[in-house]
Amino acid sequence: MKNAIEVKQLTKSFGNHLVLDNINISVKNGEIFGLLGENGAGKSTLIDCILGTKKVDNGTVSLLDMNPIRERKKLFENIGVQFQETKYPDKILVYELCKETSSLYKKSLDYKELLRNFGLYEKMKTPISELSGGQKQKLFIVLALIPNPKVMFLDELTTGLDPKARREVWKALQNLREQGITIFLVSHYMDEVQKLCDKIAILKKGNICFYGTVKEAINQSPCENFEDTYLWYSGEEETNESI
Amino acid sequence: MKAFNTFLTTELKLSFRGIDMFIFAICMPVIILVLIGIINGNKVAFEGANYTFLEQSFGAISTIAICAGGLMGLPLVLAGYREQKILKRLKVTPISPILLLAVQLIIYMIYSIISLVLIFIVAKLFWNLNIKGNILQFLGAYFLVMLSMFSIGLMVGGIAKNSKSAGSIASILYFPMLIFSGATLPYEVMPGLMQKIVDLLPLTQGIKTLKASVLGLSIDNVIFPIILMILLFVVCSTISIKFFKWE
Repeated sequence: MKNAIEVKQLTKSFGNHLVLDNINISVKNGEIFGLLGENGAGKSTLIDCILGTKKVDNGTVSLLDMNPIRERKKLFENIGVQFQETKYPDKILVYELCKETSSLYKKSLDYKELLRNFGLYEKMKTPISELSGGQKQKLFIVLALIPNPKVMFLDELTTGLDPKARREVWKALQNLREQGITIFLVSHYMDEVQKLCDKIAILKKGNICFYGTVKEAINQSPCENFEDTYLWYSGEEETNESI
Repeated sequence: MKAFNTFLTTELKLSFRGIDMFIFAICMPVIILVLIGIINGNKVAFEGANYTFLEQSFGAISTIAICAGGLMGLPLVLAGYREQKILKRLKVTPISPILLLAVQLIIYMIYSIISLVLIFIVAKLFWNLNIKGNILQFLGAYFLVMLSMFSIGLMVGGIAKNSKSAGSIASILYFPMLIFSGATLPYEVMPGLMQKIVDLLPLTQGIKTLKASVLGLSIDNVIFPIILMILLFVVCSTISIKFFKWE
């Protein structure tokens, strides 16, 4: 198995509205893959289709060589997911959610150890609703790590974090890469994408308008830095003309 | 099994932290029992009856907690979890939806049993409740009522679009059944026509079975309710598992 994630000719519509059009993505084992695009470009829908939380209209998805809908129980022993908005029951404490989460897997990492690594050990008995934004995001990484996953999906993981917390998260992700974990992330921060991602796809109105490395993206555009490059690819026609 | 136990303990703790089930499933049945006890005390149910009014009502009161849990708690928790996308988060784990449904089912079962024990103690202590029928028969009927009511709740919670619609459906089921099936308003005081109408509610049938077991009445009258409740359980639980929606 070479590719952890393999998406072929994926199409998805809501009613008459085509949300994803002929998407092809392959992510090698151990790679960090970045999915970029404006709000509403179809990023979260694409993640839903890959994970099987939404059915695709056409095309195929294979995760660790498995079908995410047919082989759900087996597959998700090895997948860690952080959705854009991770939800939890009211009044639940940090350790309770961690404990519930680890009980779902045949093999799981020690959540206490993970909480300690992310500086949350002291917060074990705090209601999640009382954590700060950064602490919550870190907790959601911990939750995604509990299954000791081979592949992680992180949807806007660092949104709302202060610069220091973002750096900490980056470091954590780089450590995970060294352990050989494949990471599929969605981000709006170009510095982050540039620093972390081996490969990116830029989604625009349901189409992939760029697929490759950050360096290739910059080289193939008239821009010099990556943020401008991203805007050039993803922007509206008016922006293109002005450049 | 590890997942089941962990979920059961955690979800039970969460449920206790919310106060509503404590009020509706634990306090309310006791209050209604005490009210009926104070008003009718040890009066016989009707002239020539060999049981008291309170004994006649006991079976009905015992179902209040079942209704609160099965028709309110259960559908609202499940629909709420779906709406808050907690179920979506669980879908990308190896959990089976049956485990989740079973955990919630058992939580409301626990509430019902606590309530049953509590009202039994109160009725025994203050009004010397005397179960004339077979106690095993009573418990059998009790669990049957529980299963049929809970399966309705599972079905509503499992397939309702959102917690708002689950709430409306739950209210439509809960309040009429609670008021008209004899759980709060005694069936015996209703006019004949009204009795005929409320006979159509499944809970009315369940309460008839319970009443027969408390008062030691003949079981011939209750074969129909038992079949009805089993049927209800089979149909509703099949639908709730088959059409379970994560999102």
